[in-house]
Amino acid sequence: MEKSRIKEMCGKVVFAATAALCIAAAAAIFIFIIMKSVPALSETGLGNFLFGSEWAPDANDVYGQPLAGSYGILPMLVGTLTATACALLVGGSLGFFTAVFLSYYCKGRLKAVFSSVINLLAGVPSVIFGFFGIKVIMPLFNMLSPNGNSSGLLLTSVILGMMIFPTVASLSKTALEAVPRAYYEGALALGDTRDQAVFRTVVPAAKSGITAAMILGVGRALGETMAVVMVAGNSPQFPRGLFSSFRTMTANIVLEMGYAGEVQMGALFATGGVLLVFVAITVALLSLVTSEKKNGGRGGKKRGISLFGGRKICFAGKVFSVVSAMFALAFLAALIIYLLIMGLPHLSGQLLFGSYEYGGEISILPSVAATLMTVGISLVIALPLGICTAIFLNEYAGSKNPFVRVIRGAIDVLSGVPSIVYGLFGAVTFVTLLGGSYSIAAGSLTISVMLLPTVIRATEESLRAVPMSLREGALALGAGKLRTVFTVVLPSAMPGIIAAAILSVGRVMSESAPFMFTMGSSIQPMPEGAMSGGTTLAVLLYYLSGENLYTDEAYACACVLMLIVLLLNVAAELAGRALQKKFQGEKNAKKKSRRRRALEQAKENG
Amino acid sequence: MLRKRAEGEERSNRQKKTGEERLFSKDIHVSNANLYYGDFHALKDINIDIPPERVTAFIGPSGCGKTTLLKCFNRMNDLVPDCKIEGEFLVGGEDIYKSKDVTGLRKRVGMVFQKPNPFPMSVYDNVAYGPRTFGIKKRAELDEIVERSLKQAAMWEELKDRLNKSALGLSGGQQQRLCIARALATSPGIILMDEPTSALDPISTAKIEELIGSIKEFTTVAIVTHNMQQAARISDKTGFFLLGELVEYGDTHDIFERPQKEETKRYIEGRFG
Ligand SMILES: Nc1ncnc2c1ncn2[C@@H]1O[C@H](COP(=O)(O)OP(=O)(O)O)[C@@H](O)[C@H]1O
Ligand SMILES: [Mg+2]
Repeated sequence: MEKSRIKEMCGKVVFAATAALCIAAAAAIFIFIIMKSVPALSETGLGNFLFGSEWAPDANDVYGQPLAGSYGILPMLVGTLTATACALLVGGSLGFFTAVFLSYYCKGRLKAVFSSVINLLAGVPSVIFGFFGIKVIMPLFNMLSPNGNSSGLLLTSVILGMMIFPTVASLSKTALEAVPRAYYEGALALGDTRDQAVFRTVVPAAKSGITAAMILGVGRALGETMAVVMVAGNSPQFPRGLFSSFRTMTANIVLEMGYAGEVQMGALFATGGVLLVFVAITVALLSLVTSEKKNGGRGGKKRGISLFGGRKICFAGKVFSVVSAMFALAFLAALIIYLLIMGLPHLSGQLLFGSYEYGGEISILPSVAATLMTVGISLVIALPLGICTAIFLNEYAGSKNPFVRVIRGAIDVLSGVPSIVYGLFGAVTFVTLLGGSYSIAAGSLTISVMLLPTVIRATEESLRAVPMSLREGALALGAGKLRTVFTVVLPSAMPGIIAAAILSVGRVMSESAPFMFTMGSSIQPMPEGAMSGGTTLAVLLYYLSGENLYTDEAYACACVLMLIVLLLNVAAELAGRALQKKFQGEKNAKKKSRRRRALEQAKENG
Repeated sequence: MLRKRAEGEERSNRQKKTGEERLFSKDIHVSNANLYYGDFHALKDINIDIPPERVTAFIGPSGCGKTTLLKCFNRMNDLVPDCKIEGEFLVGGEDIYKSKDVTGLRKRVGMVFQKPNPFPMSVYDNVAYGPRTFGIKKRAELDEIVERSLKQAAMWEELKDRLNKSALGLSGGQQQRLCIARALATSPGIILMDEPTSALDPISTAKIEELIGSIKEFTTVAIVTHNMQQAARISDKTGFFLLGELVEYGDTHDIFERPQKEETKRYIEGRFG
């Protein structure tokens, strides 16, 4: 008996420790980024850094004499905020109207299709968005631009908008569907048209949830890196018009990290620090909005402003909703079809299975190997840690426990930190720890930290889906908590956990920013082991798309990446549905038993 | 071969039985028990003696604390935060809230819940779950226990050919009887049942009532039920609860034929009429 009690204690300690690790990771990111930016800030001065309008890194003059640079990020600060605002205009409204369409104007099969479209769009790697932007949207916009070149604010906003669109749509949909049906029916009973009921009654009632969706969209837009680098033009200047080249803070880091001198490096870390401040603000806003929701909000009772309540205007809302959803579908279809058409013909033997040496012909084989290794290592690290943390949160800690609040806060922060900041963090921690050179191991460790919030949330959700009665059943048979968790709860939650794992694989495949300064900053040959550098498929696509020499290879690579990520997302969705079915299985079993009972009765009677 | 196995089974049963009987009797004595969920006083000064190898039924309107009292006997209330328990609970002569061995207590006191809750695993693994918890690993021994438990639950004939099928494929009534078999597998002296038939149809209910009648030969049964006729049919003793108090407790016959308290009378008549 003593032995089992010690085992239980150990289990609890291990789970709590992994949970504490999340706090440590979140804290470490802040500490390292701030620490690394102090030297540069003290040299430049915080005021000059934030409000200086010139960014001109240290350089040598024509005689080789060093010139002190100036590091003012105001242009990029303004650029980031402008692009984010414009992206919100595009993605926020598209997302909102699509969510309305999904929750009120479509049903059954149609709804399933459109929900999948949103999920798939959410999984599209950012390099693919960027690539599509360069190849398809940019030529269109070039025709509008006075100087024939459209890389800049408008293009960036449209791409960013499309990227935050699925986030806003799926979260708004959840918020809209949480509004009690009675509101809608009540409005109809008062003589509203269906459109009026939706836009005057339901939407205001879901206001806080929709606001939260928008905030998360903003967070994603602020932190987006690779797609932006590909389409923004990147001159460190204030955006002056729709077609003006500009630079975001995230782009600033990617563009200059590779060759930065000491002070410049510090200034880049400080740029990351400013991004972290924005993350902290969005997380705080989010918790404010959601706590307001818990306190009841006021939305439901107050009707929409009468200006927006007219039949015609609400009907226009409906039209927008339908159009937005169609647009999402069309965009996804265009993306897939375009990449298939342009990519498939170039999938040559050399490209798929050939070898690659520096400067030689491109093959994606080394990248496939590097990607697989990264996926393997990061899952081996992130899954156990994430699952244990989720177990701690869901099975061990009471909701009132203050420790739990801190952990949840840390997880929120971790999920909001932009991927490029993870890259910075990995560069100063894991790369240094592993001997100072770029390696697949360092990249994998970096992305593992980034995966934690995804794994934790998905696992928690699936643990929550396991009926309480199963736990009670095991405990009542004398099983300890550990045995209950491992023999009853985890196996029941398995489909959900598998979905989390698949999603994580998709995430590793689609990310590129965290690898830029941890795994290697040029196209690498076949990795020899975890300690050699590597280029994942997404990073490869980024490099290829920057070089006009390799257009065909870029298409092929994009096509392969897109297909793999889509397949993974479909697989994750199927696994998630299996979980749902398992516990609807209870209902089905009841149905079945009713049928069986009827049979039994029939037998007995006759 | 089969005969040999049966003999072995009987021997081991006898050993287990005598072994346990020597250690623990199968009765429950509760004195001056009070239970609070936070500020809410859910059980008020309960005194009750539950006799061994009899069926004791708890009746009363919903929310009066029947489940709460039942869960005190195997300390399932330990799972509820802010639950404060006072008084003495002697189960098999041992003051269970003084002992630290909750696991051992739950081995001796099995529980069957309102909704059947078979684990999502095979029939066999469901029944073997308890014994495995207590370290029994040998296949032969487990086989024996599974067979004995299913026989005690009158399910062996029904299930012997589908031991490896998922328990979730069984009908609701079968699932509940499987849960009873699962509880019997640790050879508990006492079984608690919380409205075990409320989710079932009449035929399955009848089977479970029959089952209760047969297991009471070797097990104490404490059962919560909403169904007055059921209490009258199957129990030897009945306790009537109201708002956290045990209003009346006595032989089932007496409670239903000549209740002493006005409330009991009204409740029973209301329910019957
Ligand atoms: N976990 C709990 N926390 C707080 N109150 C509870 C809890 N469980 C039960 N109660 C309250 O205790 C009272 C008795 O509940 P219960 O024992 O389930 O009643 P019964 O089984 O007789 O219907 C009810 O008023 C119920 O609301
Ligand atoms: Mg109850």
